[in-house]
Amino acid sequence: MSLVTNSVRSWFLTELASGMSIIFKHMFHNKATLNYPYEKGAISSRFRGEHALRRYANGEERCIACKLCEAVCPALAITIEAEPRDDGSRRTTRYDIDMLKCIYCGFCQEACPVDAIVEGPNFEFAAETREELYYNKEKLLANGDRWEKEIAENLSREAAYR
Amino acid sequence: MAETGFWSGYALPFLLILGYILAIVVPLLISVAFVTYFERKIFGLMQIRKGPNVVGPFGLLQPFADGLKMLMKETIVPAGANRNLFLLAPIITFTLGMIGWAVIPFDEHLVLADINVGILYLFAISSLGVYGIIIAGWASNSKYAFLGALRSAAQMVSYEVSIGFVLVTVLLCAGSLNLSEIVLAQTELWYFIPLAPMFIIFFISALAETNRTPFDLPEAEGELVAGYQVEYSSLAFTLFMLGEYANILLMSGLCVILFLGGWLAPFDIEPFTWLPGIVWFFLKTAVVMFLFTWTRATFPRYRYDQLMRLGWKVFLPISLAWVVITAGALHVFGWMP
Amino acid sequence: MPTLIIDGNEIDVQDGSTVLQACEEAGIEIPRFCYHQKLSIAGNCRMCLVELEKAPKPIASCAMPAADGMIIRTNTPSVKKAREGVMEFLLINHPLDCPICDQGGECDLQDQAMAYGRDSSRFGETKRAVKDKDIGPLVGTIMTRCIHCTRCIRFGEEIAGVEEMGAIYRGEHMEIGTFLEKSVKSELSGNLIDLCPVGALTSKPYAFTARPWELKKTETIDAMDAVGSSIRIDTRGREIMRVLPRLNEEVNEEWISDKTRFSCDGLKYSRLDRPWVKKDGQLTEATWDESFNAIKNKLSTLKPTQIAALVGNIVECESIFALKQLMTNLGSPHIDCRQDSTPFDNEYRASYIFNTGIAGIDQTDAILLVGTNPRLEAPIINARIRKRSLQSNFSIGLIGNDVDLTYKYDNLGNTPAILDEIIKGNNPFSSILNKAKKPMLIIGQGALSRDDGRGILQKCRIIAEETGMIQENWKGFNVLHTAAGRVGALDIGFLPGTNGFNTNEILDQAQKDSIKLVYLLGADEIKTNTLENTFVIYQGHHGDAGAKVADVILPGCAYTEKDGTWVNTEGRVQKATAASQPPGDAKEDWSIIRALSDYIEGELSFDSLTDIRSTMTKEIRVLGLIDKQSPGNWGTFGEDCTIQNKLPFKLPIDNFYLTDPITRASPTMTKCTETFYSNRIRENVTDG
Repeated sequence: MSLVTNSVRSWFLTELASGMSIIFKHMFHNKATLNYPYEKGAISSRFRGEHALRRYANGEERCIACKLCEAVCPALAITIEAEPRDDGSRRTTRYDIDMLKCIYCGFCQEACPVDAIVEGPNFEFAAETREELYYNKEKLLANGDRWEKEIAENLSREAAYR
Repeated sequence: MAETGFWSGYALPFLLILGYILAIVVPLLISVAFVTYFERKIFGLMQIRKGPNVVGPFGLLQPFADGLKMLMKETIVPAGANRNLFLLAPIITFTLGMIGWAVIPFDEHLVLADINVGILYLFAISSLGVYGIIIAGWASNSKYAFLGALRSAAQMVSYEVSIGFVLVTVLLCAGSLNLSEIVLAQTELWYFIPLAPMFIIFFISALAETNRTPFDLPEAEGELVAGYQVEYSSLAFTLFMLGEYANILLMSGLCVILFLGGWLAPFDIEPFTWLPGIVWFFLKTAVVMFLFTWTRATFPRYRYDQLMRLGWKVFLPISLAWVVITAGALHVFGWMP
Repeated sequence: MPTLIIDGNEIDVQDGSTVLQACEEAGIEIPRFCYHQKLSIAGNCRMCLVELEKAPKPIASCAMPAADGMIIRTNTPSVKKAREGVMEFLLINHPLDCPICDQGGECDLQDQAMAYGRDSSRFGETKRAVKDKDIGPLVGTIMTRCIHCTRCIRFGEEIAGVEEMGAIYRGEHMEIGTFLEKSVKSELSGNLIDLCPVGALTSKPYAFTARPWELKKTETIDAMDAVGSSIRIDTRGREIMRVLPRLNEEVNEEWISDKTRFSCDGLKYSRLDRPWVKKDGQLTEATWDESFNAIKNKLSTLKPTQIAALVGNIVECESIFALKQLMTNLGSPHIDCRQDSTPFDNEYRASYIFNTGIAGIDQTDAILLVGTNPRLEAPIINARIRKRSLQSNFSIGLIGNDVDLTYKYDNLGNTPAILDEIIKGNNPFSSILNKAKKPMLIIGQGALSRDDGRGILQKCRIIAEETGMIQENWKGFNVLHTAAGRVGALDIGFLPGTNGFNTNEILDQAQKDSIKLVYLLGADEIKTNTLENTFVIYQGHHGDAGAKVADVILPGCAYTEKDGTWVNTEGRVQKATAASQPPGDAKEDWSIIRALSDYIEGELSFDSLTDIRSTMTKEIRVLGLIDKQSPGNWGTFGEDCTIQNKLPFKLPIDNFYLTDPITRASPTMTKCTETFYSNRIRENVTDG
């Protein structure tokens, strides 16, 4: 029996026909395309995008130069130098991330004991030159100021799982 | 009768023919451009995407943007290439893609060269197509191009055989090599109904003949990069593209003429007869074109040995058998035209 | 020899061992905070609890003497529970601010909490906070982190001899600090940082600058004094971040002086990083080629006897040897390494080394100090003497300034006349020396760098011979050097040749214009004003006194930047390893001399450090005996001369923190001077 059905299927190309019909039906499905950059997809609150250094509400920078992010960074993208600030507190004098080396693994934000370095929701930071992607402390702090609202919201949403 | 002067005897007919040629080639090239758009749009739809939609309204200007981009690029002739042949190959492909259209009847009497061996002419033209490719592959002096060209040549020659038998079948039924007469012979019944298997074989062979998916092995990206085109850029590449797509259109047109009644309306009654024949011809060609695209969107690429097996061990015997069956049936029932 | 059973294994230990030591012998790690093998036993952290069979509760193993037949268990649930409990108590008031703590990554509490602690705290109440104490510019305090192990107090009392530190209040309110807010004035205060098991006492100059895991560690030898302490230099990139001691029982035990530890920041400032040549009275930047050509041009106009060379205090043997060869090839006898014009020559090695060795101090029963303040000249040796002085049957006499040596001594006076009294037996101390089994004499550079130095040397030799210091296996005649490179230079014999001038003569003759070219190899502790009209080549690493009068400056390496052989005051030959690279164009010193020799046809035969070492050790065998203190040959040294009996001995080091070009460039050492010598007028150059 199967010989007969198989032969019939094979001679009448039914499988080809059914395959083509499936593809044909797809023409009338709703389109998945997002009209980027006018439309943007939803981003998870765990999204690991551009880095930012955050501040406390009073404007004090969070980073305490513990260098855990530098130590954990598998790409060796982070460079930190630190010394006592005038008030004696431990602060960085240099906090560089080489965004070209960075692999966006998120270990730095996991290692950070004070949620200072975070990977924000921004993924649109392409640049025309390599130099623009060598981020320094100033740039990172500016990122923090710019994205603070979104970052804080994401952190509070994920707080239960951290 | 006046003496044949320079104007009336030579210049005017030449200009007239030139005009005819332009009237065919220009719309043809434009339609080739839009076929690429059409194809991408259909792919988009079939893959639940939108397809090109940025350049111009609905992305309609995309083909021109692409064309412009290709023209702006640098023509690179590889150092080890045979320069003359290298540049000749795309010209051959493009020219062959164009000249086939000389015998295609768009409507009754609307044909550039209504010759009695039209189908032989087309057969010859499509056989010549292999030269453009094999010259390109050899002249590039690149192993990918060479391998791609060899595959391509073997593939085209193989499927030419079964296409030949399909044509013979149609010729037997129509009793003429003239394409217009083949169309007119289908007034009663389009040939795709009595010759359904041959229609399918012709369609599939046409895919192979024009190196379309699932038989696009000559340019298999994964293994051969882009096959015989790998060293081409800019205008030379554009000529290949245009030639190839013109060839696809030609094959679609041939398919319509041989099996789908050419310019004839589906039913010889109103309102179908309101539309002029040329529109019906274009609509039918578009449908076959769509079938080409649809197939491309559905099926993955064949393996090369499977491709050859299919050509020689399946299509050849079947088409041969159908020639015999058809000829026998025509003889026995006295249907011979 | 008590025999114990520890975790089922029988082990014999030495008499007087504790259970903790027995466990270590058995290869079992016992966590501890307060116990330290160089300090007395306190037994107050309770981290080392182990189970002793038949004892009702766990015992503190560090304080329990090992006795025969003890059955000890260290891996039972009760021990684990005890450790977890102790750790939990310790962490109650510990702030857990590891991310901002400099001890993070090398913290005993951190490591042991990971290994032996619970995973979480049950303490919900507020923690206490303690006010930080200011104990000086070297040691930073964050007293909230203190776990009251009292190591610092015991170190102060037992090793450093500063009793400022102590514990005040009781129980939860206990605080460690100086009773009066004042700096801990000790030359060994940096060791508090190493001792502190947590981050309560940290290094101020190193504060927040690096983490232990990012440092490259190089084990090498110190050159800031003549002790030649074993040190570990931690570098990040090119920069030297800190210096730590290495255990070396023969030399520095576990301690290093503050100068060794903190002067490393001087290596970053006022460095010579490219050659300079004086053109029209103005030093201008030059290439190596230009500077060598300038030397060549000058030399071609001079006779060999118009050339002289002086070697400084911080120069390793290879360069000294290379320079000596060069001078020999040039034909000049005017070379000297004794910047302070001490009377040594290298006929008898015993005449210029610390013969008993530093470890010999542990065996001696009487010490006569002559013209020295070991506390400033060699704090490590002073700590050894103090350690010996805390034990019984020991007496010390000092001929010299009345200074605080951190231990009790008899001040016999401060004039050379006392030496005569001792020789004649008129001094009460001579009988002590005579009675002593292994008496020892330590003579400082202060006693020798005088015009009558050779006479004093002779007198001291006589005392040594008369009072039985010279025995079969004991030569109690010890010279305490202050310069790290001096003994090496003496071993090589960088001393005036036949008709050669010594340091003072070279300087005099330079002023008189009969010496026209002086090659200073790191020599900064000389009176350079006499060299103003002389062509001076200065090769060294800091722009100090020598470089100021130089006509050609050749930039060399500091002791941390080159592989080299050093001989400490004991005559112990030690190899140093480069920890970082020299700045700019600076090169290793021996290779500079080698390169120069090509220009001036003084042709030296070696091309690599291995070459020069093999040539050197072939010529001077003693330099090949690495890490050994080889005994010197005894003989009749010193000379008769008129001794200014009334002239008191002057100490070679006045300011401990500023003794050489490196320390003078160091901001930390300057800060120390401001703190500890604020009541004095700061002298930038000592009479080293």
